[in-house]
Amino acid sequence: MSNHPILSVSKLVKTFGKKTAVNAVEFTIHEGEFIGLLGSNGAGKTTIIKAIVGLIKPTSGTVLYNNKNFEANLKESKKLIGVVPQNSNLDRDLTAYENLYLHTLLHNIPVKEREAKISTALDFAELSDYRDKQLKTFSGGMKRRLVIVRALIHDPKIIFLDEPTVGLDPQIRRNLWNLILKINQVKKTAILLTTHYIEEAEKLCNRVMVLDHGDIIMDNTPEKLKHGLGRFVLEIYNEEGITEKYFETQEAALTAQGQCQSESKIRDIALEDVIIQLTGRRVNA
Amino acid sequence: MLNGVQAVLYREVHVFRKKAKKQILASSLSPLLFLIAFGWGFGDRVAVDGLPYILFLIPGLITMSSLNQSYSIAQEINISRFYFHVFDEFLIAPISHIEIIIGEVLYGVFKASISVFLIFGYAFLFGVDLRISASFFIIILMHSFMFSLLAITVSMLIKDHGSQAQVNTFVITPMIFLCGTFFPVDKLPAFFKVIVHCLPLTYSTKVIRASLTGGEINLVYIGIMLIFMCTFFLTALYAVKKVEA
Repeated sequence: MSNHPILSVSKLVKTFGKKTAVNAVEFTIHEGEFIGLLGSNGAGKTTIIKAIVGLIKPTSGTVLYNNKNFEANLKESKKLIGVVPQNSNLDRDLTAYENLYLHTLLHNIPVKEREAKISTALDFAELSDYRDKQLKTFSGGMKRRLVIVRALIHDPKIIFLDEPTVGLDPQIRRNLWNLILKINQVKKTAILLTTHYIEEAEKLCNRVMVLDHGDIIMDNTPEKLKHGLGRFVLEIYNEEGITEKYFETQEAALTAQGQCQSESKIRDIALEDVIIQLTGRRVNA
Repeated sequence: MLNGVQAVLYREVHVFRKKAKKQILASSLSPLLFLIAFGWGFGDRVAVDGLPYILFLIPGLITMSSLNQSYSIAQEINISRFYFHVFDEFLIAPISHIEIIIGEVLYGVFKASISVFLIFGYAFLFGVDLRISASFFIIILMHSFMFSLLAITVSMLIKDHGSQAQVNTFVITPMIFLCGTFFPVDKLPAFFKVIVHCLPLTYSTKVIRASLTGGEINLVYIGIMLIFMCTFFLTALYAVKKVEA
């Protein structure tokens, strides 16, 4: 990671009629950083991504890529970004190769480099054997892998992954995590990942921003976020449901458990506990 | 500048190629039915504007079919916008809106050209002696350009698939039937005559027919077509920008 800011967002606002979807959001992403943007459905995650990649116009605020204004340097800025949207926008009538070739044309990759870049991308996604197969025949996981490597073909400095693993089974999700981590670690590409799977953000990200009702209410490393609350959780099952208590040490949690008359369990603190404390509800609620 | 146009055209033509047989078959059927019903029905027994009806009809069918094909890109853009989200990929890419518009328009022209050659084939089979002038190729290009631009405007402004069908029902279909494709607009009642003269198809039908039957091409009509083309280009540009609002 370096200290060079790839993306700086300042006082970004997006309203739809009277509803404020994004409320004066500010953040900076540096080269090679892996950031998770966590929030419940409707918190404004996708709206932020759409506004910073140019799919919707922000109501106000500034977006800078490489310290240059996005609006004023649209073409140059768009070359720096790769986008993996929530809904796959691959063309199901085209083959894997044709989908990637289309991307090389859109990004004006020199003719001489196109074939090599497509082959590398297919290898990276372990899809070389499916190069000439139409997307119609691909499984959900294969399509996701392809859409992710497509976003990398033009060597962007930052990629936006909008809920890339939603709807996939646990095995495929873990395979995708490996692919995403490889992108960040091997290619040193900065990543902004939106998710409502806390476990995903915890495993992958160096930094997590928590979004609630269009506001970023917390921005820190997963470890620091978690340990602000304690290290152990005592879950007490009573008539009103589950009550959670947080402790810095396991001994303190065990002592509390010993005094407890209801059924209870001690576990390590998770990022989800912090989110619930911050937003008052579960992220995927 | 060219890579965006090339990319959009690459995508559209490759998708078309996969469905070419079905699409060409579907687009060839309706002009054939009109030709059988009206062409054989009236044949050369009826004369319209001093031309045997079948000779009057063929240029009308070319106008209608090329309009249908160039305008049909609206439906395809619509599907790629709302269903496959492929259009988003164009908007995210470092290409301009003008490149997207030109790429889509060229695809519309490509589709329209196929239908034109198909009807030339029918004319040959039906033994119709068309007098094709060089100006026809420029005029048909303008005509297809104009309706491809209208298609882009409509496909960007509508909010869902249903609205697309409404535009077809209330605007495109009446325009096809009233603007001189099957009968001269001069025969219409005064009220309709005013309406059809506000529509671009009336002018393109007249000049396309003249360029295929040895008639005189009215330059004022060409000028009006150019005005419609420029207007639709600006509306298309506005509409694509509006998608990002």
